[in-house]
Amino acid sequence: MTSISKIRYRVRHLTAYCYNGRIDLCHNLAHLGPREEPSQEILAHHIEIEPQPHFLAKRQDFFGNHTDYFSVQGSHEELKVISTFTVEKSDAVPVLPDSGEAWDRVFDASKVMASCDDSGILLGNYLLPTQACPLLDSLDDFLQRSLRPGREIMDLCNELMARIFSEFEYKSGSTDISTPLQTILDRKKGVCQDFAHVMLAALRRLHIPARYVSGYLETIPLPGTEKLQGADASHAWLEAYTPATGWVGFDPTNNKIPGHQHIKIAHGRDYFDVRPLRGIFVGSGRQQLTVEVDVVRV
Amino acid sequence: MGSDSIASCDSSINLASALGYQMHSGQRDEAVSADGNVQSEWHDIFEAIQQRGPGTVTEWRHSAERLSRERGLAYRPASLNEEPEKGWTLDPIPWVISADQWATLEQGITQRTRLFEALLKDIYGAQKTVKDRLFPAEILLRHRGFVRALHNLPPGDGVIGLGISAFDVARDSGGHPFVVNDRFDAPFGLGLALENRTVVNQVLPELFGRCGVRRIGQFITDWFDHLGKSSPAATGAPQVVILDPSEPGEDSEVGFLANYCGISRVHPTDLTVRDGRVWIRALNGLVPVDVIWKVVPGRNMDSLESENSGARGTAGLFEAMRSGGVAVASHPGAEVVQSPGFYPYLKKICQALLGEELLLPPVATWWCGRPQALSHVTTNLHSMVIKSLAQSPEVRTRYGSRMSSDELAALKAEIVADPGIFVGQEELVISTIPTSRAGQLIPRGAVLRMFSFSDSEQKVQVMPGGLARTSTSDGAVISTRDYGESKDVWVRSSEEAAPFSIASALSRTRLITPDIVPSRTGENLFWTGRYAERLDTISRFAARIADGRMQGFTRDADFGRRHEKLLIKALFKIFGFKLPAVKDEDGATIDRLHLILEDRDCPVSVSYNLDRFFNATQMAREEWSSASTLAISSCYEAWHTQADADGDDLSTRYGSKLNHLQLNLAAFLGLNLDTMTRDEGWALLDAGRRVERASIVCALLRFLLKAKLDNDLSTLFNESILYSVDSVRTFQSRFRDVPSTELTVRLLIAEKDYPRSVWYLIQRIGNVLHKLPLPGEHRHPRDLIAPWLTEMENFHRTVEEGGFDRKQTDKFLGRLRKFLKKLSDTITVAYFSHAKESV
Repeated sequence: MTSISKIRYRVRHLTAYCYNGRIDLCHNLAHLGPREEPSQEILAHHIEIEPQPHFLAKRQDFFGNHTDYFSVQGSHEELKVISTFTVEKSDAVPVLPDSGEAWDRVFDASKVMASCDDSGILLGNYLLPTQACPLLDSLDDFLQRSLRPGREIMDLCNELMARIFSEFEYKSGSTDISTPLQTILDRKKGVCQDFAHVMLAALRRLHIPARYVSGYLETIPLPGTEKLQGADASHAWLEAYTPATGWVGFDPTNNKIPGHQHIKIAHGRDYFDVRPLRGIFVGSGRQQLTVEVDVVRV
Repeated sequence: MGSDSIASCDSSINLASALGYQMHSGQRDEAVSADGNVQSEWHDIFEAIQQRGPGTVTEWRHSAERLSRERGLAYRPASLNEEPEKGWTLDPIPWVISADQWATLEQGITQRTRLFEALLKDIYGAQKTVKDRLFPAEILLRHRGFVRALHNLPPGDGVIGLGISAFDVARDSGGHPFVVNDRFDAPFGLGLALENRTVVNQVLPELFGRCGVRRIGQFITDWFDHLGKSSPAATGAPQVVILDPSEPGEDSEVGFLANYCGISRVHPTDLTVRDGRVWIRALNGLVPVDVIWKVVPGRNMDSLESENSGARGTAGLFEAMRSGGVAVASHPGAEVVQSPGFYPYLKKICQALLGEELLLPPVATWWCGRPQALSHVTTNLHSMVIKSLAQSPEVRTRYGSRMSSDELAALKAEIVADPGIFVGQEELVISTIPTSRAGQLIPRGAVLRMFSFSDSEQKVQVMPGGLARTSTSDGAVISTRDYGESKDVWVRSSEEAAPFSIASALSRTRLITPDIVPSRTGENLFWTGRYAERLDTISRFAARIADGRMQGFTRDADFGRRHEKLLIKALFKIFGFKLPAVKDEDGATIDRLHLILEDRDCPVSVSYNLDRFFNATQMAREEWSSASTLAISSCYEAWHTQADADGDDLSTRYGSKLNHLQLNLAAFLGLNLDTMTRDEGWALLDAGRRVERASIVCALLRFLLKAKLDNDLSTLFNESILYSVDSVRTFQSRFRDVPSTELTVRLLIAEKDYPRSVWYLIQRIGNVLHKLPLPGEHRHPRDLIAPWLTEMENFHRTVEEGGFDRKQTDKFLGRLRKFLKKLSDTITVAYFSHAKESV
């Protein structure tokens, strides 16, 4: 029997806005603090904001994510937000659980929607269409090949993940957050958010509750090379739900069941529920955005 | 008509038929029973009309129209208004409701208010109703008005619930009342109801007294009292504001309420959040706000947390609510509970939440998300009203009975594709009430909008009155699309009505109404002043041209035409616009007088500037006295009503209209001098006027200096310029000479004590600018004035000593004009810079 050991990561996420012009006031909503989850224990979390915010409030959002609201008042030309935390994860290799249910099960849709997951959130939230995840008819073309009658749900999820990984091309910069889902399906090209959205919409179309997950992925430099600072990035994957299994993660960008290398920040219906930093500023001028993420083992 | 018919045995029957009131067969009438009896509560009205004789109804209508107009209700610039407002026209015949009927309705609405308060509380709290499956979760989760950001912020404990709620009630052919719509998210109509009451009370004072009509003023002051009590601030008098998003030309009936209660009305761009509190950006700095009564959609109130990324709201507002910095009425998430999706389940919800039977049923409704309901709706589509739950209900409502078979098929396909976002409702025949049309009483389908709120002790108050809306068409069915006119609602009382005074009621409430001038209001006051002067100048130019044409030209036609051309050229030049071509694209000749009179797209026209002037005054509505409001609507009215002598000739047609306009404008400006407090707002209005006037004079004189004119034309043109600034008399008494360029310049620039001279204007601007507060880090505009007072003095000395020189003067006026522009810019930056919020 192999013993399970713990791995600790230290994550640093810097976001900097540089304005061409002075800003008098800005309001921000951050999803930068990690969730406490069965798979991860948060040892320390710290958020540093420059200039010093005049008002800061920590709370949980609708989905139970950690949220920081802050405002900076008075003239400034730059805003820097650095979130740093240490998280401990088990190195156990995740296995695909069995839901005991087939995708073509007989069920009462309205009953599923009105039931809750273990955090008390109505599953309906994760079944209905959203702006970024419309439940397009064209998803059926994609789904069709995998829909063998009686196929177990987790097995199906696993195949959909593998198919997105192989049939879609990962191309950084090929899309942005406003690219419609249909375009992603047509071009079969995108980034991690897009792949998560495709799979979310596909699962919801089959009445399988699914939620978007934002977080980070530990990247391992090629042998002999040193890891560059700020080389990591935010990552996105998803989780699917069945009563027997609870929430199970899938990462279609890497064709992987998320394990210790996946550090979770927040979840929601789609990207827009968990944007890392959303801000509104009063003043004139365009902004330049810099993001640096480091995930290191400690 | 005489007393014989009244004297006969059954006066009620005779009353209805004597007035020629003919009910629609198969449709129940509220006033007259099927056998022709006038119901007792309507008797006084029918009798009054009969006794006063023919023409009564028309007479009432005319006085209602006149009063509405005078109160600023009827005129809105059509060119800026994409949707013509509906249901605003007032029919003075009220909807009369007996005390008994009212008791039933009041009970029903009281329960309904409690029911939806409880539902709202549950939805943003425990969500027990959803989890117990009292209604399908989709109805909540797919509604755009379910604001997830406000979860765990249910009403109660310093958070206001529904606030003012509106319920549209109608009666079916059996006389049973039912609810057509619930409106909790900034419902329309309370201001209009109040306004209608004020007007009808003046049109029918005796009848009003005789009927023992219940008063509605108390309800409104109680509401403001409740708002005051909801203030999170423990000490001091609460600052309550009405948050109104309306732009010029949009419905802004809330303005009536704001005026009635003396509450500040602010626009979303007037507000800012700092330190977890909400503040008004006012001319004198930031003023804290304790309670907001919003008439904006709640879901978009906070641009930071709105799911609609394009929302123009107040960033940080929800956080201010959470941290107890502000109370908002209604709850910004209240829109969701007005979904007709709840209607099929309302009985069950009522039992579960209140433990009571539902008293007032909603119109029969089917949610298409259930297969059985879907098949019922699609099978009976031709007699269904289809509403979408995901989109705005007003926009998306469709009536099966009015659709072709192709349209029905398309609608069916749309529903089947996503049934969960549709409900079907039964299209009902509703009862009629007497309305006035063409001097007659005729029956029209009617819906009654009732208002309520739940006060600080959770006690429901229902307004004893409301807003009635009647159908435009003969049809048995009424939809919001059909709303033609509105009516006052008279609830009869057996008790003697206690006299009610708004002033004493308000003094009992603890609200403070300090003189806050939001920056945006300040900007509109400044532009009211500027447009008023522009309008005055353009109308005087137009009048001068019209005059010239009417009298025949003094010498010969050619000379007159040259003068007219000069005036038109000058007018375009002074406002910095290119002179348009004489021929249009089709080669037809354009009469430029026509252009400067009534072309709404020509920036140098009376109509264009009147629209802008009117809009600016509307955006600063609270600032005007009632007499000023009358002068404003008279300006507009005088211009837009057809002249009596409508010959083909422009000059005859417009002569008296221009006179009226100038007179009303002068009355407006004069009244402001008499009635406005000399505060920051007044200072900006006055500064706007003087800056505009001075710029116009400078530009006009520069045009004059540069023009190469022979003697005769020069004299006439000088005279025209003096006419355009109303200075002909003064010139004559001052110089006793023929107008010449030098003398005109001396009078209009270098006279220290003449109100039309630029020197005087600059001194005046300097004086009023002292009223304005220090603008933070920006430069105070008054600091620009001093050097120019010296310059004016020097210029005065030069011309008095005979040193008048065209070129030097032109250069001087050029610099003067630049200074005025800079002055205006400095005022704008200092006081009106509501910088846009960006994402």
